[in-house]
Amino acid sequence: MNLNTLKDLTAQELGSTLGAEKRVGLLEKFTTLGLPHKKTEEYHYFDIDKLLNVAYKTLNYVPKTIEVRDKIIIKDGIVTHAPQGMRVYYEPCEMIDMEHFDALYYLGHILSPRTIKIEIDGDAQVEIEHHYTQSDTLIHYRIVLYNQANRHATVYENFIADDIKNTLVLYGYDMHIAQDSTLRVVKLQSMEDNKYAMVASHKINVAKNANAILKSFDLGGDQALQVLKVELSEYGHVDAGHLLYLNEDSKRGTVSQIVHRGEHSTSKQEAKNILDGHSRGIFDALIRVEHSAKFTKAEQNAKSILLHDKAYMVSKPQLEIYIDELEASHGATTGQLDEKQLFYLQSRGISYVEARKILVIAFANTLIEEVKDTRQQERIKTAFEKVFYKNT
Amino acid sequence: MSSTVMKIENLQAKIGDKQILKGLNLELEAGKVHAIMGPNGAGKSTLSKALVGHYDIEVLGGDITYKGKSIVEMEAEERALEGIFLSFQHPVEIPGVNNAYFLRTALNAKRKHEGKEELNAAEFLRLMRDHLEMLGMKSDMISRSLNEGFSGGEKKRNEILQMLILEPEVIILDEIDSGLDIDALRAVSEGINKMKDGKRTFLVITHYSRILDYIEPDYIHVLKDGKVIKTAGPELVAQLEEHGYDAIEEE
Repeated sequence: MNLNTLKDLTAQELGSTLGAEKRVGLLEKFTTLGLPHKKTEEYHYFDIDKLLNVAYKTLNYVPKTIEVRDKIIIKDGIVTHAPQGMRVYYEPCEMIDMEHFDALYYLGHILSPRTIKIEIDGDAQVEIEHHYTQSDTLIHYRIVLYNQANRHATVYENFIADDIKNTLVLYGYDMHIAQDSTLRVVKLQSMEDNKYAMVASHKINVAKNANAILKSFDLGGDQALQVLKVELSEYGHVDAGHLLYLNEDSKRGTVSQIVHRGEHSTSKQEAKNILDGHSRGIFDALIRVEHSAKFTKAEQNAKSILLHDKAYMVSKPQLEIYIDELEASHGATTGQLDEKQLFYLQSRGISYVEARKILVIAFANTLIEEVKDTRQQERIKTAFEKVFYKNT
Repeated sequence: MSSTVMKIENLQAKIGDKQILKGLNLELEAGKVHAIMGPNGAGKSTLSKALVGHYDIEVLGGDITYKGKSIVEMEAEERALEGIFLSFQHPVEIPGVNNAYFLRTALNAKRKHEGKEELNAAEFLRLMRDHLEMLGMKSDMISRSLNEGFSGGEKKRNEILQMLILEPEVIILDEIDSGLDIDALRAVSEGINKMKDGKRTFLVITHYSRILDYIEPDYIHVLKDGKVIKTAGPELVAQLEEHGYDAIEEE
């Protein structure tokens, strides 16, 4: 399948091409937004044309018997393992956001009518491992995730790829974070060798008094974009942290919209970007405070370090505010490693390479240390060091 | 001098477009305390930076030999591993770098260079404990980020802590007394005096004679306009106090 052939189709033609004639609302949304291309605002800094204009193999998504394991494993879009007793099943998604800004959110739903539903019980800690085994393939799936009211659950998300090449993954979550609950999602995605590219398009609903804590650690090379829309109800809170550490010719980052709908909702978004080689980092983030969201607080910050003169960071923190009764701030800085700090470490006998590593990790540490689980924290640090030493 | 550990010959150096050191000659005798005094802008801090290979400094001519070997082309970390230590006038703050982790990394780099086994975290903490107590440092200072939010006195104590742990052979103290109250000055001096074992060499760079009441120098060198213009014994301090730098004529 070459996704580029969907470019100029009408909703009806698209429906018959994809065998999804009945999903009229989604087809219309997709054709209205149009297949992303390099002039689409959200994809402007990402090589989307190149990724979509490829004839990919397609897969048959036939559910398998789910075996018991300590984590959820999703292999090429099919759940193969899950912890005992956890409710993981396939079902159409009932709560699709009909105001999402991303066309690939709708394409994902059109291509994947039966979503993977995961219901997290109590204060569980769940690991989700995405595993890709097919080369030159379009892998698409969507996940709907629910947690329970008044509970505090955590999801650790990891990605593994076999020795594959040139696959495109379109996936994403529709998360429903229940009233008075906290859902913490920690994503670690280390990529290399162009095994696969990814567009992950998410929608996160944060109910009244609920907390969404979203931490993403995007490391290494290749092409990947996470597209995020978060909606906050009354007293809802989101704390989003994004660490980007890129090398080689990588193009990766976050395009997000955090929408304050409810009064007293709060958001904090922090991006730290470290770019080496010829890489390009993307942080294109909008916080929108609607008329209904009086007394909100919104804070947004992006800090970037360029380790190479060919590295390039796109930082676009934006606020769109329709009321007066709020506190809001945003900012972005881009610089290099501080040579005074580097010299201080070297003057104590620490080599240039180690001194750089210490400073790069120090810059990232405030985000890494927010991951409370020490095993996961170590995993992130190890992945981080692997990228660092590859560059040196 | 009987045993010269470091020899600076006709050193010329600039920062940016400005030449600061203009043919500086100085010999440091092993195991002795040398004090460098001089007015503002004489080149005292430039000299200290030149000795440790600071990136600001461009050496235009002359040589610096340490234990008979030229170090002008050496990287800063090599000089440190060979035993040259600078206590900075303004130590930088490095948020996110744990002080203990930094100190252990530095110590283990040196131990590795010397062919010794690296210390693990527990061994290192045992080593630290006594030093912290002597310097009047709270134990939480080593778990904080390096110099971040430290007062002026705490930063200087932390410099001395590094000196005690790394056990260098040539110790350059750049304005170690600036910004210190009497208690901090006493603690810092005690740390320095602990290192005076007749083998280590000190180069104390200072504006004022106050620190020399605590660390007794063997030699006083007066630096003016990028050159050492006079070298004498500790009795020179009193003369400088009374008549100032202008009264000193080049020898």
